[in-house]
Amino acid sequence: MKKLLNSHEFVVFLILMIISIVIGFRNPLFFSASTLFDIVRGSIVYCIMGLGVLMVLISGNVDISFVAIAAMTSYSTHMLLLGLGYNGGIGLYLVVSIVFGLLAGLLMAFIVNQFDLPIFYVSLGYQTLWYGFNLFFIGRAMNFNLPEGLVGYYSRFLIKVKDPVAGETGLHVSVVYLLIIAIFVWWLLKYTTFGRGLYAMGGNREVAIRAGFNVKRITYLMLALSGALAAVAGVIQGAYSRSFNPVLFMGQDLDVIAAVVIGGAAITGGRGSVVGTILGVLLIQVLNRGLIFLGVSAEWQKMVVGLVLIIFISIPAIAEQRQGRLKYFPMGKEK
Amino acid sequence: MAEQKRGKFPGGFRFNIEDRVLLLSVVLIILVIFFGAIEDRFLTGSSIRSMAFQCPEIGLMGLGMAIAMMIDGINLSINDTANLSALIAGLSIVKLAPFFAGHEFLSIVIVFLVAIATGAACGALNGLLAGYIGAPPILATLATLTLYRGISVVITGGKTLTGFPKELSIIGHQVVMGIPIPFVIFLIVGILMYFVLEYTTFGFKVRMSGTNPTAAKFSGIDNRSIAMKVYILSGILGAIAGIIVMSRTNSVAYEYGTRTYILLTLLISVLGGTSPGFGNVVGVILATFILQVLSTGFHMLLLGVRGSSFFKDFSWGVLFIAILIIDHFMRREKSI
Repeated sequence: MKKLLNSHEFVVFLILMIISIVIGFRNPLFFSASTLFDIVRGSIVYCIMGLGVLMVLISGNVDISFVAIAAMTSYSTHMLLLGLGYNGGIGLYLVVSIVFGLLAGLLMAFIVNQFDLPIFYVSLGYQTLWYGFNLFFIGRAMNFNLPEGLVGYYSRFLIKVKDPVAGETGLHVSVVYLLIIAIFVWWLLKYTTFGRGLYAMGGNREVAIRAGFNVKRITYLMLALSGALAAVAGVIQGAYSRSFNPVLFMGQDLDVIAAVVIGGAAITGGRGSVVGTILGVLLIQVLNRGLIFLGVSAEWQKMVVGLVLIIFISIPAIAEQRQGRLKYFPMGKEK
Repeated sequence: MAEQKRGKFPGGFRFNIEDRVLLLSVVLIILVIFFGAIEDRFLTGSSIRSMAFQCPEIGLMGLGMAIAMMIDGINLSINDTANLSALIAGLSIVKLAPFFAGHEFLSIVIVFLVAIATGAACGALNGLLAGYIGAPPILATLATLTLYRGISVVITGGKTLTGFPKELSIIGHQVVMGIPIPFVIFLIVGILMYFVLEYTTFGFKVRMSGTNPTAAKFSGIDNRSIAMKVYILSGILGAIAGIIVMSRTNSVAYEYGTRTYILLTLLISVLGGTSPGFGNVVGVILATFILQVLSTGFHMLLLGVRGSSFFKDFSWGVLFIAILIIDHFMRREKSI
């Protein structure tokens, strides 16, 4: 119990509660089932992408290409299936886009492994490359032609509630995907050699190699999974917004990374957890929506996210410094 | 490692031409000949002048990125530092315009001072986070990127700022002895940077700190204060780039260059041969020219192709990864 109370996740949970209560007192409309379900629905895709980012951050790397992979896979899948006259539901969309996502991730891992390059640099090129690819080779316009199976997907709810302001709303079915993925990633991180290898890599890559972890294979699996998760998020977002966008999530990479970092993942220490990531995403979502409920204009969102992120990367760094474990320039390999 | 020796002795000039500079020069010349041969408009005076107007901003940011990379850091916020500095300078000049009636040229001085002060402040926050607090530079500067962009959005409300005094546009539009003023600024800054990095104790400490921070610490170098100074310098370089952008486009937008500039500055920096402990101002400047020649050349070739700017983004991504791979092989050969 004491361990739970001292954990980073619990602190984030407390902050989340405090912020919610403060916003709720200022604006009682915030405390409603529809707001809750709205925040959950808005968080699902970011949680799914965040779980991919979590794995990369645990391994001591930063990847910003996942947003472009989400855009490329979902848009390409949509255009491909549309061209083939597909009329079914989200199932085939997910399968095809996951294949694309896995391939994109594997290609990136190949470049990273084969030429011994930092994942961050490759991902920077990768992001520009895939957005450019999407816009030049696939299409420039948002596409609103949904197959019949996807029509109305945005309003398929598990639990329905009537809201005087927002009308009928509820807990969206895609929360099931998130639960399955979250449990899968949690299991991967906790009970597989791959997961333990990620933490080992993040703690100290050299030691992980000496301990017998196949770092290259871990990198392949990690980036392939991250690509697949981004693909799932892209398709679900497309189905939500009833349109497929070639520049989906552009500029939102930082929000997701911020959420995962706030959730306790640190690229210096091989830390991070599934629960923390989900709480981090919820915190960012509550902050963003809460600002609107408090009557703060939307322009402040980015600045607030930046400030919160700075606080959350500083706290663990200062704590490490207190313990005398500071590496001078933690980005580089230890020399 | 022969490379480490150079720059150690203040006043000592080196005569050996480095492989990287030679290689980049050859690539540059080949590219110029290539584009000049297939495109009549490429080697004309107006095209060369427009290239000289365009490349300084990205080159200055590239230098700012390179110096951060020399201490094993990175400055991802450099483009947003540039935008924020230009924004605050622009706002102050618009607000203070009545006081400077009749002394418009003084307003240019104010713009420079305000922008450089803002850039230095932005850099100081990066230095505080990456140097003193010890946050990983990638995350620290990603966070400040979000913060600076957020501040810019809040200040402007997401709108583009215009309406500066005419005198300000001189920097971005006039030539001195046939050379565009931005290019003159770029060259002066480049030469200053070259001397700072090669012939001062500060430059030497930067190299030491980047090559081996632990050894540097035991030699009495304060890595943290070096990091702080480097990030401040990087912020100032960003601010100068911001002034040039502001003057060239007669406007400041919070989203200027946010799509590809970070990628391009890193590309310039890596292509110029920057790695922890090693930096090469001449290489970075040559890399800037190469990038500009490629950009202008492809722009001319692809003129009329639908969506060619998207193809450009795609090519920058591919080129960046290709250069990382080539750089990998070059470094490996050197270490054998």
